[in-house]
Amino acid sequence: MKDFKVLEIKTSVFADNNIQAGKLREELKEKKVFLLNLMSSPGAGKTTTLVGTINALKNDLKIGVMEADIDSDVDTRTISQTGAKAIQLHTGGMCHLDAQMTRQGLEGLDPDGLDVVILENVGNLVCPAEFDTGAVKNAMILSVPEGDDKPLKYPLMFSICDVVLINKMDVLPYFNFDLEKCKENIRLRNPNAIIIPISALKEEGLKEWTDWLHNAVISWCE
Amino acid sequence: MHELGVLNSMVHTIERIVKEQNVTEVSKLVIEVGELSGMVPRYLEQSWPAASYKTFMENTELELIVIPGIVKCKGCGRVFNAVYSDLSCPDCGCRDMEILEGDDMIIKEIVCS
Repeated sequence: MKDFKVLEIKTSVFADNNIQAGKLREELKEKKVFLLNLMSSPGAGKTTTLVGTINALKNDLKIGVMEADIDSDVDTRTISQTGAKAIQLHTGGMCHLDAQMTRQGLEGLDPDGLDVVILENVGNLVCPAEFDTGAVKNAMILSVPEGDDKPLKYPLMFSICDVVLINKMDVLPYFNFDLEKCKENIRLRNPNAIIIPISALKEEGLKEWTDWLHNAVISWCE
Repeated sequence: MHELGVLNSMVHTIERIVKEQNVTEVSKLVIEVGELSGMVPRYLEQSWPAASYKTFMENTELELIVIPGIVKCKGCGRVFNAVYSDLSCPDCGCRDMEILEGDDMIIKEIVCS
């Protein structure tokens, strides 16, 4: 009979990614670059929100954007028009970015001289929540047409986010969406989440969000 | 179908562990999959040949142990399996609960030949 040994491990399957993400965060701290991981389902308004965010902050902060998608470069072209430094990342079919892919993206973008890099993750409420990208903060956008029950259906995504933006408030009258119920559902999963209703299209409610981001960048880069 | 990406990440984690232990061949992996982890055991099994393809674990057997998703109701304190209760307390209907176990995916054992 062949000899064999059993290694008793009891470690998370994500252990290696978590180590890589921790290293990346330390390097970003040294370089004084703030990395924000922005997540949502497809079509929730990440790119429109980003355009408004960049326009509000571009006089105060040097901003870079990494657009992660399975294919195409439509978002990068939209973001480039704001004057922000932008790069398109193709995940080659993968539904999320991990810490190693984020590092490669940052190398391609070259964050030297930037204050903040925003990673627009692949549109998906499941996989991006499972992989620590190395970001300093996580934010997500839930849009009104998606429904107020999403925090119950995708609990991990809501539990890891520092900020939840509720977008498309301008179409609230046309949907069966209860804002207070939604906030309650988010707090069940994450009592500390900052919840900000916005309309990216109408540029409403963005100031509370951009103030939060500005302050988070300043305190990270001190 | 995020199981493939999760398994790819797991392969990297195991690669680091076995290097540290000076092991080259792995005959079996024993993985604990929580019912609240968001992973579907059947999809993990189906994705494993692709995730291990052309890696040092191409011939490694994958054994999955499903861990029940046990929660405690923050309203009345009842302990129950959340998966079979539609994520709400069967006694008081409360949806605010503390997860006691079954929300993780853990590498339990690496059997080396």
